[in-house]
Amino acid sequence: MARDNDTRTMIDRYTWWETVLIYLGIFVFLFFLLSPFIEGFLVSLKPLAQLFSSPYRFWPENGSFAAYVSMWESVPGFARYIFNSFLISTVATTLVLLLVVPAAYAFARFDFRGMGLVLAAFLAVSMFSGAVLLIPLFRLMRTLGLLNTYFAMIVPGVAFLIPSAIWLLRTYMMRIPTELNEAAYMDGASQFYTFRRVILPIAMPGIIVVAIVTFIGAYSQQFIFALTFNSKTEYMPLPVGLFAYFGKQEVIWNELMAASFVGIAPALIIIFFLQRHLVGGLTAGAIKQ
Amino acid sequence: MGQLSLKNVVKTFGMIEVVKGVNLDVSEGEFIVFVGPSGCGKSTLLRMIAGLEHTSAGDIVIDGKRVNDLAPVKRGIAMVFQSYALYPHMTVFENIAFPLRVEGASNDVIRQKVEKAAAILHLDQRLQQRPGQLSGGQRQRVAIGRAIVREPEIFLFDEPLSNLDASLRADMRIELTRLHKQLGATMIYVTHDQVEAMTMADRIVVLNAGHIAQVGAPLELYHKPDNTFVAGFIGNPRMNLLPVKCTGTSAAGVTVDFNGQSLTLPVTPRAGIEGASLLLGIRPEHIRLGAGDASMEIAPSVVERLGQQTIAYVTLPGQETDFFCVVLPGSQSVTVDAPVTVGLMAADCHLFDGDGKAFERRIDLKLLAATAA
Repeated sequence: MARDNDTRTMIDRYTWWETVLIYLGIFVFLFFLLSPFIEGFLVSLKPLAQLFSSPYRFWPENGSFAAYVSMWESVPGFARYIFNSFLISTVATTLVLLLVVPAAYAFARFDFRGMGLVLAAFLAVSMFSGAVLLIPLFRLMRTLGLLNTYFAMIVPGVAFLIPSAIWLLRTYMMRIPTELNEAAYMDGASQFYTFRRVILPIAMPGIIVVAIVTFIGAYSQQFIFALTFNSKTEYMPLPVGLFAYFGKQEVIWNELMAASFVGIAPALIIIFFLQRHLVGGLTAGAIKQ
Repeated sequence: MGQLSLKNVVKTFGMIEVVKGVNLDVSEGEFIVFVGPSGCGKSTLLRMIAGLEHTSAGDIVIDGKRVNDLAPVKRGIAMVFQSYALYPHMTVFENIAFPLRVEGASNDVIRQKVEKAAAILHLDQRLQQRPGQLSGGQRQRVAIGRAIVREPEIFLFDEPLSNLDASLRADMRIELTRLHKQLGATMIYVTHDQVEAMTMADRIVVLNAGHIAQVGAPLELYHKPDNTFVAGFIGNPRMNLLPVKCTGTSAAGVTVDFNGQSLTLPVTPRAGIEGASLLLGIRPEHIRLGAGDASMEIAPSVVERLGQQTIAYVTLPGQETDFFCVVLPGSQSVTVDAPVTVGLMAADCHLFDGDGKAFERRIDLKLLAATAA
């Protein structure tokens, strides 16, 4: 008798045309998602002259990584821009985590007067577009004397990133069983000891997710803050620094694309490093569900 | 050490009174089991003793000291949770060592105490594993180990076996009883499983809607329930309750009219009950095939054959909402809808008044225990 060795459950089995449709759908989705990156990467490999040839060639002819070398010479301060971006995002993420982790724990575990109102206020604030507040923020930064400093790009960023981070981490922490707090309390542990030794390690996957989301958020919102609150080259982050490739006569497209890819590399490395620490199901065995 | 007194203890959540003035004295080294249906307040009472719930009124006294406002760790108690509540990121060793680390004990003391607890609980080979790698029974043992290392005067258990499967539950029951003997500590145990209550307890506290319905040794509750609630709660299947009329009292007891038959029950009579409507209680396992002091003909509507016993359910006229249940030893030839005569003995019957309060049965529990032995 023939044996069916398919280990999938019945609900996971598809007919051949369903499988084709699924893969087609995935391909279309990925194409739309990745096509700007693919095109950008191919442009970075093409010689500048080829970019304006007619008819337009999709694949590079005599493609090389030359633009990845020449980009450093065309804009000598580029390394500084990457460093600035990295610094602003890292400091902002650190500050957000320092403030959000204890706050999310408090919102998840303690019931205090006005909690719902404060949470609603956080949600409302996170709905504001940063652009709407640029002018009042500019006046604030000027009054505080923070224009043209790193702080001008970090502090508003932190303020904008905190609300969503609190909501995200609070939801995660609410899923940690309260019995663990009670058990630790029975064992004589203080609130802080319980937080440090019990809750924090269990919440680590959630904290890492918040760190990634915050880092990406901090990286992407630098553009608008840097453009508004900073005019000094030495504090410029990468997104604004890329404008240096827009010359008076021409745009050095291949170097611009190469610089973009080099610029996002540190962020990708950080995210890759962090996501390796995302351990699913860390609470396994804590309580009987 | 390890004495506990509850003095008129009350717990309210908003307008709802969950525990309504409970009084109880627990002696040193006793194994006390709180039983009752869901929502009767047994877990709340345990959490109040633990110090996890604030006491709304009354006093909780441990070894002569009022502890209402003391933190759990200062009450000299440890608690094992229903859900285990193990720290998933720590090894078994670190889980058991946790209370000692909080205390600031030295590494040598910690190692010595953890290894001792692990040996008692047969966890020696599991110390470096994490809770996620353990079976349900092993996890529960780790939770018990965490309680043991603190060497408390009183152990509290909140339905610790309810998440385990039936065979593991039976094993753990025996293990907990052994542990109680070994440690000699006072243990207070909450369960809704009456088998656990009957087999483990020195005394059972039956709770009903925030009140203590009765406190007593397991066999006392079985043979001399104070009221219809306890009579129905202790014993499985539950006691049959049949309406009867009192026809007279004498030195021999109370005589009732049962299906047109006169039956004199050996209970202490009360004045002025002649003609009153009463409830006759008979446990399913005390009904036999054939004639007894009183008999009745039944036609079972459902028959369950368990090998060890045969259980027949009957719908009696006028009692359509409740089954009359008969438990017969071994495999008996009763079949659905086939009429059969069953009998009951007066000495096995219980009698309750209109308020559900029991008439004192004239049985000697010591004699019963001696006969059983």
